[in-house]
Amino acid sequence: MNTQRVWFAFFIVLALTLNFGFFVGEIDNPLHHHPIEFFCALVVSLIATVLKIGDRSHMGAVLLATSLVADFQLIAAAIVWGYASQVTGVVSPSVMASVVSLAGGAMLANLTSVVLLLAETIQLKR
Amino acid sequence: MWLLLMELRAPLVTLILTYAVSVLGLVLIPGETTAGEPYAVSFLDAFYIVSYTATTIGYGEIPYAFTETQKLWMLFVMYATVIAWLYSIGSVFSVLSDPKFRRLRAHQRTVSRIHHHKFPFWVLCGFGGAGSQLIRFLDQSGIRCVVVDDNQTRTDTARLSDLSYEVDVITGDVAEPQTLVDAGVTHSRCRGVLALTDQNQVNLTVATNVRILAPRLPVYARSSDDANTRNLRSFDTEVVVDPDRTATHSLVQLIQRPNAYAIYHELVDPDLNRLKLISIPDDGHWIVCASGRLARIIVDAFNHHNVRYCLVSPEPVEAAIRWVAGLGTEASTLRDADVDGASGIIAATEDDGDNLSILLTAQAEHPKLVTVARRNRPTSEPVFSQGNFSVVLREGRLIAQELFARIQTPLLHEFLGQLESMPEPLVAGIFERLAARRTDQDAELSHFAVHLVEAQAPGVIEALAHGSSIPLRVLLSDPGDGHRQLPAICLLVRRLNGDLIPFPGEGCGLQEGDELLIWGEVGVRGRIDWLLGRQDIFESVLANVMQPSRDGH
Repeated sequence: MNTQRVWFAFFIVLALTLNFGFFVGEIDNPLHHHPIEFFCALVVSLIATVLKIGDRSHMGAVLLATSLVADFQLIAAAIVWGYASQVTGVVSPSVMASVVSLAGGAMLANLTSVVLLLAETIQLKR
Repeated sequence: MWLLLMELRAPLVTLILTYAVSVLGLVLIPGETTAGEPYAVSFLDAFYIVSYTATTIGYGEIPYAFTETQKLWMLFVMYATVIAWLYSIGSVFSVLSDPKFRRLRAHQRTVSRIHHHKFPFWVLCGFGGAGSQLIRFLDQSGIRCVVVDDNQTRTDTARLSDLSYEVDVITGDVAEPQTLVDAGVTHSRCRGVLALTDQNQVNLTVATNVRILAPRLPVYARSSDDANTRNLRSFDTEVVVDPDRTATHSLVQLIQRPNAYAIYHELVDPDLNRLKLISIPDDGHWIVCASGRLARIIVDAFNHHNVRYCLVSPEPVEAAIRWVAGLGTEASTLRDADVDGASGIIAATEDDGDNLSILLTAQAEHPKLVTVARRNRPTSEPVFSQGNFSVVLREGRLIAQELFARIQTPLLHEFLGQLESMPEPLVAGIFERLAARRTDQDAELSHFAVHLVEAQAPGVIEALAHGSSIPLRVLLSDPGDGHRQLPAICLLVRRLNGDLIPFPGEGCGLQEGDELLIWGEVGVRGRIDWLLGRQDIFESVLANVMQPSRDGH
């Protein structure tokens, strides 16, 4: 068992689950989307990215790319949300909808990572 | 690169985790406004506070003064984030400034630069005495090199050497094929490989590797072992230079043909721009202080060329006609070798101190001796150049000269081949012809090649196409200044069909496609290039120079 692989799989799956938890609910209803859950998803996604830095394999490069995509989506969502709540002061349903849809995009990237990870694992078994 | 980035994983994860925990704590702990109402710190404020705390900037407590609980949490935040921050940033910088990492980056940059070269270059393996001399010689002719050496000190010297271009240097074992590929031997602009390390085996490996990596690339190798030389020649290594044989050849030339020796050294050594004639008395014998392989080669060559000599060496050499045991550093040994009746002495042992001692002793015994010193280590140069010796043999320089003559222009090498079989009086005749054309006998000399083709000499081609005959003397006329003779002569003409005409007369008719090797004062090249490049000027010079001869008939 490779500890590094355990940690990476842990973080990549956790990023997906947290993101999913944040994503479900009515898209434009702020009550259905908790900021702390979003924060945790972002942090976990960042850590998953860092864990892939320096992996020379082809799979490693693809995984780094997908988790970078997730990071960018989440950071964009954070900026939109932060700007709306702090600068304009109102989180309108339309803003909430775009935050959640950005997070949804990130979730798709996380899902890709998990699928790739599973594919690799299954190949190893054979 | 990626391997080193892996070392950054731990610090980066630490940084992200500490930040996350700190921000989360600030968000969860309730604050109070100045009026005492409960207030929740937003993520933006929390991230802002943690950021300025971690970087030790510390703007203060915003937006309201902290409660006791918040202060407790901030204490944790301060210590945790500052330490995590310093640790991560420190790691990033230590990875970036790691000598291994920097060397790797520098190597990758050099390799990519070499592979994008737009100009022709040579790959020089081994930056020793010969390599460092040759790269300077080639630079003076505008030929660039890529240097490969396995010694860090030598590659640093190469990088800092005073050249007209920024030389690309690779530190690596040249015996490994990958190093050669990195140095660009498979590049289409690579003109050849110079294997000049001081290890025969390494030079051999370089030559074989290049044969396979780039079969058409010429390889010029140094070899100081006969078996190794035969091995190199067996797979058609273009040029094999043996330092001992080159030195011996030089000695025989000096003793028997001092004029050829003088012109050879003026032509092949860009640092020597004057004819330096050494008068050699021909009545006495030569004392040779040498040992080992060099002694054997000198003895063989002197026997073959009928040079009278007396060998002074600790060990007897089989073929030696006269031999005195000893080093030659003592006056008694030299007297045994009949120093009073000698013409010259060659101090060619492998120790610079011994060589100096031999020559000083000999000069004290017989002040009029021709003295030949062998300099082994480049660091001994000051004493040898200051010492009052007739000739100093420098191994690296001899090899560099030999190779330079072949690389710079093929014409020069052809001429030197002709020079080998040229009688001494004929060579002396060249000197007189050049001297007759010169007004300033002290000016520096140089040589260059001229190719009579449309691109280089449009006027000449045009005139030839009209059926006029152009004698050589037209080319050697000054385009301005009343068309006086230029202080230069033509050493060799190579016709398009490969015919060679050494020392063509001034009336020699030129043909399209001729290549000329011209030798003369330094400024001549510009005048001739001007004359050839401008069609109108050439026509007027041609008409003017041909005029008197027409009147005469």
